Amino acid sequence: MNHDQNHQKPKTPTITLRKFTLSDVDSFMSWAADPRVTRFQRRDPYSDPADALAYITTHILPHPWYRAICIDNTPVGSISIKPAPGEDRHRASIGYRLAYDYWGKGIATEALKLTIKAAFEELDDLERLEAIADVDNPASQRVLEKAGFKEEGILRKYVRLKGETRDMVMFSFLVSEF
Amino acid sequence: MDEQATEINQNRQPLAVTLREFELTDVDDYFVWTSDDRVSAWWRWDTFTNKEDVLAFMEETVLPHPWMRAICLDGRPVGAISVTRRTAEHQCRAELGYVIASLYWGRGITTEAVKLVLGTIFGDMEGLERLEALVLVQNVGSQMVLEKAGFTKEGVLKKYLIYKGKISDMVMYSFIPTDN
Repeated sequence: MNHDQNHQKPKTPTITLRKFTLSDVDSFMSWAADPRVTRFQRRDPYSDPADALAYITTHILPHPWYRAICIDNTPVGSISIKPAPGEDRHRASIGYRLAYDYWGKGIATEALKLTIKAAFEELDDLERLEAIADVDNPASQRVLEKAGFKEEGILRKYVRLKGETRDMVMFSFLVSEF
Repeated sequence: MDEQATEINQNRQPLAVTLREFELTDVDDYFVWTSDDRVSAWWRWDTFTNKEDVLAFMEETVLPHPWMRAICLDGRPVGAISVTRRTAEHQCRAELGYVIASLYWGRGITTEAVKLVLGTIFGDMEGLERLEALVLVQNVGSQMVLEKAGFTKEGVLKKYLIYKGKISDMVMYSFIPTDN
């Protein structure tokens, strides 16, 4: 029973987060091999599933917090939390990527909301979640804002991306906002 | 010579601020600002209480540091300034840090030292594209140093670093080579 008769946008599908397994390699390739998705990542798109398998094995499986964004238990993207180095355990950064066909449906925003909740519930002493988005990536900036992150400023020449040094927008989500 | 330098300072000529590498024989001067509660209040480290600890710190941290300099006034160290480069894929940026004995606060010495660093650091560090500095929101004096030296304030990063057990908001500043 859809009461939103005049609402043009389709509803966001139900999404869940779970840990990756090696059998997710084909799903993983659906975004990791796509240059449209890797455009704002340091890495180039994967072309060989063997390389993707190696990445899942050496980086994803042992990672402290790395989840598959799933629709009907099938991964359509990933999201991860990385604690800040050294003494600053109160701080962690979020990164996420989504298969191109699933852009524009509110999925990344929903995955972020679930991750924010999990982060503040699971990580002791966490007070600040942060995320950066390329100045030329307004879609990602909007996702972060819709999920409740606040823009703090533009950090100039902050990261190297495929041979170029990029300006990044810094966002934060504080425990007090949770 | 010394009298002439004093006269020059009284006539408000530019300060004789120079930078040089530290030596262990600078320990007495290094002790001056590291043993001062008014200085350590602004830092993550605790006040040093004896020179042996300062000597050990100089041996372990100061002398091996890839880029650290004594801020000298008329040839005598009155503070320290360092540029700490990030590693691996983040080598395009480095963090500026500086400390000066409280006796010399408010005289433009730190600003002069920062300007001297800006004049050489991008040549010294190949591939460096961004020099950044994080300052406690309460540390207005340090913010003024950076602004006078030509840094751009980019924003306040909330609950960013832990200072003396307190999670603190930090102002982020940067300088890139194309800044005037």
